[in-house]
Amino acid sequence: MRLFKGSSLAVLVKIILLTISISVLGTLALAAFAHGESEIGIFISIAIAALAVTYLSKISVPMKFFLPGMVLLAAFVVVPILYTLTMSVYKYQTGNYISKSEAITQDLLIGIQPDPEGTTFDMRLGTDSNGDVAILASDLLTNSYFISTTKNKIDLQPNQVTLNADGVAEGADGFKKYNSSQLTKSADEASKLRFVYKQDYFLLTEGFDLAAVNSQVLSYDSATDTFTNATTGVTYKDNGRGNFVNTKNKKDILPVGWRAPIWFDNFVKLATDPKISGPLVGVFIWTVVFSSLTVITQFALGLLIAIALDKKIRGRRFYRAILILPYAMPSLMSILIWGGMFQTEFGAINTLLGTQINWFDDPWFARAAVLVVNLWLGFPYFYLVSSGSLTAIPSELAEAASVDGANPRQIFRKITLPLLLQILAPLLIASFAFNFNNFNLIYLLTGGGPRDDLGGQVAGATDILISYTYRIAFGGSNQNLGLASAISVLIFVIVASISLYGVRKTKVLDEF
Amino acid sequence: MTNWLKNVAWRHAVVIPVLLFTLFPLYMVVLSSLNPSGSLQVTSFVPNKISFNNFDTLFNNPQIPFLTWMKNSVVVAGFVAVVSVAIGAASAFAFSRLKFKGKKFGLQTLLLVQMFPSILSLSAVYVIMERVHNFAPDIGLGTQSGLILVYLGGAMGVNIWLLKGFVDSIPMELDEAARIDGASAVQIYWQIFVPLATPVLAVVALLSFIGTFNEYVLASLFLSDMDSRTIAVGLQQFIGGQYSKNWGPFAAGSILASIPIVIIFLSAQKYIVNGLTAGSVKG
Repeated sequence: MRLFKGSSLAVLVKIILLTISISVLGTLALAAFAHGESEIGIFISIAIAALAVTYLSKISVPMKFFLPGMVLLAAFVVVPILYTLTMSVYKYQTGNYISKSEAITQDLLIGIQPDPEGTTFDMRLGTDSNGDVAILASDLLTNSYFISTTKNKIDLQPNQVTLNADGVAEGADGFKKYNSSQLTKSADEASKLRFVYKQDYFLLTEGFDLAAVNSQVLSYDSATDTFTNATTGVTYKDNGRGNFVNTKNKKDILPVGWRAPIWFDNFVKLATDPKISGPLVGVFIWTVVFSSLTVITQFALGLLIAIALDKKIRGRRFYRAILILPYAMPSLMSILIWGGMFQTEFGAINTLLGTQINWFDDPWFARAAVLVVNLWLGFPYFYLVSSGSLTAIPSELAEAASVDGANPRQIFRKITLPLLLQILAPLLIASFAFNFNNFNLIYLLTGGGPRDDLGGQVAGATDILISYTYRIAFGGSNQNLGLASAISVLIFVIVASISLYGVRKTKVLDEF
Repeated sequence: MTNWLKNVAWRHAVVIPVLLFTLFPLYMVVLSSLNPSGSLQVTSFVPNKISFNNFDTLFNNPQIPFLTWMKNSVVVAGFVAVVSVAIGAASAFAFSRLKFKGKKFGLQTLLLVQMFPSILSLSAVYVIMERVHNFAPDIGLGTQSGLILVYLGGAMGVNIWLLKGFVDSIPMELDEAARIDGASAVQIYWQIFVPLATPVLAVVALLSFIGTFNEYVLASLFLSDMDSRTIAVGLQQFIGGQYSKNWGPFAAGSILASIPIVIIFLSAQKYIVNGLTAGSVKG
């Protein structure tokens, strides 16, 4: 007798789900290609193909189970990690964000200069008879008027224009002035256009009613891959590190650079540039101290409570219910609440102690505060796991030792603690690794501070590696994603080694 | 008497100070939420006047769309919890029960990927979602659905490992018996594994819910719109370092936001603690 039968309902559900997913993904892929995001389009197309093949054929049963998970993991975890790893060998920072071709376009756009006289005209924005964006310019010195678009310029006779009281042309044949709502909408777009003036000169709009004469001074030669400044005659060459540099003066670079591969320079910088390696070493030491002290204090307090409550005493259930509250609370709320309590003025801690300590302005007080808050957040976890483990240690061991004349302290130090450490070692290591990257606590409590912002200091006294790196990558006006990626790789190696050691201990990998 | 001192009293003496340490911030936040002035200043550690002004502000001040934030958090975290467990469970089943090429490699990759500090690949996630926004504004940067997608990707690693541990503990004999009766892998999954695993799936979903509810960094990067924020981002930005200004309503808000999580946690405590010893650390 067959107990298990394929049901037609299941097949129907499968087909419907598959159709919906594929049509949604298909629409997305098409949209991606249409907007020039071909990499994303290709990724989605591969996902569609994989879905179709997996669920419509019998090629691989395991694939049917893990394909959706793998697609999500690939898109939002693996690809970003690979991207970050790649960026660690790139110069990728403020001023060097875009690709080379975009950078050339930008440099060309910026490489203009007003004409020597600084000529400007009063102008009105609108459209010409073809509907193209146009300006109607008035030269008040010579009483001449013209309409200019990006393609051509038409000079007008005074009798073809309507003037206002100041002598500025407000309207003309073949010109339709923008009304005020059109103007606010289009002025920004128009400011990027170059309106025809004469020969090498063109007009740029400035605000709503002024046009200035400019000329292109920087020119790019794609054959030699160089820029030349027509006024000064200086040539700028690709320095192979993401910038065009004056061939005679290394300090003179064009403002817009691009992300360029610089191989191991970011890593070399980490090791040799004292401005970077100095703070990095300090931050690294504090990270290790912070994680170690956190694990030690949390474990010690948790274990102490576990031992104290190891016997059925009155009120044990009540104690337990209260003691695990910090662990049950959303940690984010707790951190913010502690942040308020540590405020210098009116904060509950200073009020309680009768002090006026600037907790977050003094490096040592800030570090102490971070450790106290983390102790509060984490000791219940170790209380829970220790009390579970204590019951797992056979009581015969302690009894036997007691018969042999050991006192309770000796039993604890020689028997209970070693056994407990053996059981909990993987959890202690996991907790160390977790706190090594405990971004939320640092970021939300102290922001990594105190730090000397005015002195340009990036690393704060309580910054751990991950919050420090976050600041390098995203904080402030000088962001350096390349360098941050290099530090990420470093953190990854450290945490992976710690965790692998922990995994070895728990022997999870043996099952493969 | 000496026996009592030796055996019992010291236990109370150890626990009570820790109890006070535990309760202090919780007591303070309750006190602040009921303080009519709504300020950070502690005039007395015993409440002399109780008012619900702060709670009132929370619900009636249009600048603090507290209920919207809560709703957003519950929707995002709920969706992530359910979907990530549904997808994760299938993967965990495959990794635990089925034999295929590349299984070891897959598991090792999964482990390795989890060790990468996810906050640091943030810029890449940001760039990707920014580009997605260009052609699909509904799921790109700035939308809750985009945030959910990113969370789902991030939740996979943890959930698969947690669930795999559980699937491993279900006796293999059950599968073999079913297979002899003619069941396919898909049928074993739906008719044997899923019914057996429902309680565990629920616990992993709860952990996932709490984790997502707590998530701050991604949410703050993704959701700039006041009305699309989650409670974590909303309350953080609301207090925004200016503790003295908005302390009272913040205290009230953090209590209301924490209560559901604390209840969920306490009610599933036994299972969660078992899961903890299996090696997960709650964020």
